[in-house]
Amino acid sequence: MDGISPAPGAAPWLFERLATFGDAIALVHRDTPVSYRTLLERVQAWDVELEARGIGPGSVVLLEGTSSAGAVGLLLALVRRGAITVPLTPQAPVARETIAAIAEAGWQVSFTQAPDGDETATIVGAPRAVSTPVLLRLVDLGHPGLVLFSSGSTGTPKGVVHDCASLLEKFVRPGKRKTTLSFLLFDHIGGVDTLFNTLSSGGTLVTIQSRDPDTVCAAISAHRVHTLPTSPTFLNMLLLSGAHQRHDLSSLRLVAYGTEPMPASVLARLAEAMPQVTLLQTYGLSELGVLRTRSREGTLWVQFTGEGYETQIRDGILWVRTPTSMLGYLNAPDRFDADGWFCTEDAVEVDGDYLRILGRTSDLINVGGRKVYPAEVEEVLLDLPNVRDVAVFGRANPLTGQIVAARINLIAPENLDDFKRRMRLFCKDRLPSYRVPVHVEFTDDDQFGARMKKKRSSTAAPR
Amino acid sequence: MIDRTVAMEIVLSALREAVDQNGGDASGVNEQTVIVGPEAVIDSIGVVSLIVDIEQRLEMDHQVSVTLANDRAMSQRNSPFRTAAVLADHILATEREGAVS
Repeated sequence: MDGISPAPGAAPWLFERLATFGDAIALVHRDTPVSYRTLLERVQAWDVELEARGIGPGSVVLLEGTSSAGAVGLLLALVRRGAITVPLTPQAPVARETIAAIAEAGWQVSFTQAPDGDETATIVGAPRAVSTPVLLRLVDLGHPGLVLFSSGSTGTPKGVVHDCASLLEKFVRPGKRKTTLSFLLFDHIGGVDTLFNTLSSGGTLVTIQSRDPDTVCAAISAHRVHTLPTSPTFLNMLLLSGAHQRHDLSSLRLVAYGTEPMPASVLARLAEAMPQVTLLQTYGLSELGVLRTRSREGTLWVQFTGEGYETQIRDGILWVRTPTSMLGYLNAPDRFDADGWFCTEDAVEVDGDYLRILGRTSDLINVGGRKVYPAEVEEVLLDLPNVRDVAVFGRANPLTGQIVAARINLIAPENLDDFKRRMRLFCKDRLPSYRVPVHVEFTDDDQFGARMKKKRSSTAAPR
Repeated sequence: MIDRTVAMEIVLSALREAVDQNGGDASGVNEQTVIVGPEAVIDSIGVVSLIVDIEQRLEMDHQVSVTLANDRAMSQRNSPFRTAAVLADHILATEREGAVS
């Protein structure tokens, strides 16, 4: 399919709108501002390059880089030309070669940045026809595609194929113009949502070199960041580090967190530490995109507004139907039912219009037939003095099938027996006895991945 | 290898703690204290916790790695966890088994 030039270009409204933002700042990358005008010049330059190589509908391009002007410019150029983009960042969950093979990528573009900030792009490859049915569907539709790889804890990550035209649909109505921190990158559904949301509304996206609390807070302060999309794990780290007290965060108005259940104790401490900030629970899955939600003030309850999607609860599990969901997986069986509903595998509690996410059904611990979700135990343990972080998981036990196990990061060293004694006393009035961890161990390793999402492993300390 | 006195000490100390945390009076805990059954001093989840605790203490303090709730233990007609003394004997038997195999 290489060589076919897209006639009108995909999402023309987006490019028309970007042009109206002129000299406003689109990106701040490595503390260097990039205007919309410059960004569109990059798009144009890439367009010429892609045209020369015959890259268009049906071409799969692996894009390796971070949110630099060059890489974002290429992404936009690929969208406009109707090509299929596979964004990869340094934190990619698997080797580039594996991903290229799964996604049938004919082309690879890698961005590397010299210490002085100069960026170079290397493009290699050749035309290659796709054969995976889900990619062929994109070609038939004549729409640009986006392939995201889920960072599955086990096995080969799943390639999630999105129709980029329907992902962008949500942004036709412009949002509020604001400065947003790019916490997750464009290889993650949250990062893609932040990028398109910010650019389509004329806002500024601020990128960071690392996700440690001081770097993030320094960037918020230096660039007057308004919105911080992040994860509960990061927010807990932030509060413990005290970085929010060392930097001026007065510009911050909205903290949105998704990807995992928020511990009540972290939410309460956050509300106290940042009274001027609105806290919003979001709900996003690689397969569905990021759904618009509303949080019940100061609680873990979330209202799914149903803007552009429908929800159903079946046996305590959340199902979602939305036209913006993925077209399908590249390398896994579909998870849609006959009517197009997607099983999220997230267990929820219901209170009227509001839902509370309990956790993944795959993380569920079964103690002699009684259900325990790690998040409900973790949130109690996070309130226990001298606990920096905790991951709760099930461990096989002949007496009850499974027992609750906890791996703890301490703040200061402590004897295990003393800790267990303290923990059990603390949990006594806070958790039913079967939910109190029976097995406890300490670790010095971080228990979250590069994307600041908790990892629960029953075998070895996660890396 | 540990001897019976050590095994008994580990059982009694872990059991006292379990009873104490259950809100009971730990001062009466001795070798004959009943751990499972109608007269037990702790509930069933307390037993699971006690066993895991003892396994962890054996491993950390004595470099002895045993699974006390093993298949053999579960298939015995009389529970090897019924009293403190029986449990201490079960620890020694399980450890010897591990050393042989």
